[in-house]
Amino acid sequence: MRWQLLIERLRIPLMLFPSLAVLVVLFGGGMLFGVGQSFGYFPIIGLTDLTFQYYIDVLTDPNFFLSLWLTFRIAFISTFLSCVFAIGFAMVLRHQFRGSQLFTFIFQIPIPIPHLVAASGIVLLVTQSGVLSRISVELGLTQVPRDFPVMVFDRNGIAMILTYLWKEVPFIGIVVLAVLQGVGPQYEEIAQTLGANRWQRFRFVLLPLILPGVLSTSIIVFAYVFANYEIPLLLGVRHPTTLPVLAFENYQDPDLSLRPQAMAVSVILAVLAIGLLVTYKRLARLAVNR
Amino acid sequence: MQRFIRWFTIIFIVVAVLAPVIPQIVWSFSFRWFFPDLLPTSWSLDSWEYVFTDSSRVGESFLNSLYIALLSCFMSILVGLPASRAIALHEFPGKAVIEWVLMVPIIVPGLVSTLGIHQVFIRLGLTDSYIGVSLVHLIPCIPYFVLVMTSVFANYGTLLEDSARTLGANPWQVFWNVTFPGILPGMTVALMFTFLISWGQYVTTLLIGGGKIITLPMVLFPFISGVNYSNASAISLIFVAPAILVLVLTSRQLGKESSVMGGFGRL
Amino acid sequence: MTILTINNLTRLFDDVVAVNQLNLEINSGELIAFLGPSGCGKTTTLRMITGLLLPTSGDVLFDGKSILNVPTEKRGAVMVFQKHLLFPTMNVAQNVGFGLRMAGVNRAEIDRRVSEMLELVRLPGYENRRPHELSGGQQQRIALARALIVKPNILLLDEPLANLDANLRLEMRELIRSIQRETGITSIFVTHDQEEAVMLADRIALMFEGVLQQFDVPQAFYQQPSTIGVARFFRNENFLTGTRSGDTVNTPLGTLKIDPNIVNQPNGDVVVSVRPEDVVLTTTINENCIHGELITHVYMGTYSQLQLMVNGNRWLVNGPIRFAGNKGDTVNLHLPTEQIWLLPKE
Repeated sequence: MRWQLLIERLRIPLMLFPSLAVLVVLFGGGMLFGVGQSFGYFPIIGLTDLTFQYYIDVLTDPNFFLSLWLTFRIAFISTFLSCVFAIGFAMVLRHQFRGSQLFTFIFQIPIPIPHLVAASGIVLLVTQSGVLSRISVELGLTQVPRDFPVMVFDRNGIAMILTYLWKEVPFIGIVVLAVLQGVGPQYEEIAQTLGANRWQRFRFVLLPLILPGVLSTSIIVFAYVFANYEIPLLLGVRHPTTLPVLAFENYQDPDLSLRPQAMAVSVILAVLAIGLLVTYKRLARLAVNR
Repeated sequence: MQRFIRWFTIIFIVVAVLAPVIPQIVWSFSFRWFFPDLLPTSWSLDSWEYVFTDSSRVGESFLNSLYIALLSCFMSILVGLPASRAIALHEFPGKAVIEWVLMVPIIVPGLVSTLGIHQVFIRLGLTDSYIGVSLVHLIPCIPYFVLVMTSVFANYGTLLEDSARTLGANPWQVFWNVTFPGILPGMTVALMFTFLISWGQYVTTLLIGGGKIITLPMVLFPFISGVNYSNASAISLIFVAPAILVLVLTSRQLGKESSVMGGFGRL
Repeated sequence: MTILTINNLTRLFDDVVAVNQLNLEINSGELIAFLGPSGCGKTTTLRMITGLLLPTSGDVLFDGKSILNVPTEKRGAVMVFQKHLLFPTMNVAQNVGFGLRMAGVNRAEIDRRVSEMLELVRLPGYENRRPHELSGGQQQRIALARALIVKPNILLLDEPLANLDANLRLEMRELIRSIQRETGITSIFVTHDQEEAVMLADRIALMFEGVLQQFDVPQAFYQQPSTIGVARFFRNENFLTGTRSGDTVNTPLGTLKIDPNIVNQPNGDVVVSVRPEDVVLTTTINENCIHGELITHVYMGTYSQLQLMVNGNRWLVNGPIRFAGNKGDTVNLHLPTEQIWLLPKE
């Protein structure tokens, strides 16, 4: 009897243990080692003393701050615009009209499609000899490839942002859509009979209802874009590039002494990400509770 | 006015969604397509032929990606299913902390841990191996799998299980005959997500695979920034195939989709 | 204090006629009940009054002016639903003050009027509570406060008490009645519960399948129902066919004397109707007596309900508590002249 009770007590911890173990060991362990390396603990090349030197090197490098600003800018713009478009599209798609199910399906298509495929497609569209440029020639707006604005391998990261938008707008949009359709029209109807116009109904009735969902998904989006390596490598310039690319390139450098520096950049990246997101969540919670 | 906004938005959505896709399809079948032509001047199947040759490594990497993704899915189920059930259906001390721990890889950039674990994996001999790559893929996979499955379990009632138990079914029978069919639709969606996450991994595979294990994104990558758009498009379309499959399969469950996606609202 | 006029109001949904040529005039300050079985068009009519739904044809007028082109947010026809639908992200004060906030009233004034309203619905001091903390009845009262605070032209209540349990419902009915009297707002409430309608309303509009059957004071539905259907809805199924000539009606069970000042059917085929509580059981056979065959009798606490077969119709008669009888017995029924009502034959 006693061992049955014991199993009962242990049941939940046992259920949780495997996932936690995997994540703690792989993720936590990885972080531990990574942080260690950033402080110079690198037995392979003979470094065993802990030092802040690498952090100092990184933080005094102007390149670093350029990269940081670029990373932040792209993440912020991508996330913000994604939210705006997502809410807008969801507001249109939530009604039932002829074909609404089909169009909602089309809206969702980007969600499972890999970012690389999206990037590949965007490149075809926005390079100076790409589809959009050719349409522009057809419309008589430009004549040669060079006339068309640079959007890939550019300093502004336009192609990158477009790629992120294409992927993330449906992601946030579907969540908002689910909320809106779950809520139904009645709150708005009541507000309407009480004298609220269209903007007031959105601002005071709908927005508070969708904000939690928008908040959660935008946190995921921001975190993803901030830490993303593939897209900036593919569609951006070498210099300045985003922090993840900077870190990884340093890591891959044959000169192993650059590794601790790479780790330092990565750790700073992680700390910044956490800091930004915690702040964001706090601010958002304040705004919602007002 | 409202109708106009609606239809304008709809058309915009359709065009925007299809815009990155259609050109790739056309490019993959084109031979000569130079600026400023809106359509190829000559068509060919060259790119597709290339894709199926051994030297392109597309076939090899496709199978590698498939194998690793399936492996990751399998491990995610083993490890994530009990965890999501525990979180969805039970209360226990420290639950909030544990939920947080499970979600951390979504928020914290994985770069630090991936780079950090690299050395460890080298020591353990896990680099250049399928299992090593799959393990690394678990880091982003498990949180998403658990996130979706928790929502599935939360919507799933345990009443049926209780009835089965009172009717004499043992735990294994209950699981197989009641629980499993009950969560299967939601789990299918969760697995599709998990599969796609692993399928799309680039950096992690690059690092841990050590260049020995080539997956499809790794083959695709150089082509995108290269000159040969036709080949890039063909490979890209092959790469997107499982995603299309997922779309088709989940479109049948559009209604359930929203409750599953609602799981993302839980953060 | 608005007069509501509805002219030939019609609404179709594809092929289904939900509301069919409705004509009503509601006086200022009246409390009207829209009564009828589910799907009879009551809610549809309400929604057309608010403007949330457009009529297929016909007109709605406030104080003699058509408001068809006035958007919902400007009409001042405020609705309270069956589900309270308090805005979940706002507290009670914000909910109640919502309409005033939309209109741009200043904070101090809003706060003052909110506490006034909360007093009116007997929930003073509840400003900071959240909707989910309230009981069903409290939520409905807050919903009411939220509607009243904007001093609406018309107050519309769509089955507001349907989700509450029985004793709560009684309490709420009294509250609604007294508040309506106090504020004098022209109000319409929709219900399928005739007891509720009778208790609350100044007049009742009874609808079947989109068509208005009768629009009258509550007593009229009992004493002077306009059709068999109306009588049935108000639990009177005691019907007997006959032919009227002057002040008598010839029926298969005998000739009945009627009062020409009460009845309004012309000479010819009619249906005689007497309410269950007005039929008198008698042993002596005198004027205006018919007979029926006893089917069963049921003890109801304060009376016995007799089921009788009367000329092929099943009659219900309220009898004395200690009634005793067997199935098949012949029972004599006296139909007092002043209680006989005639319905058109259908």
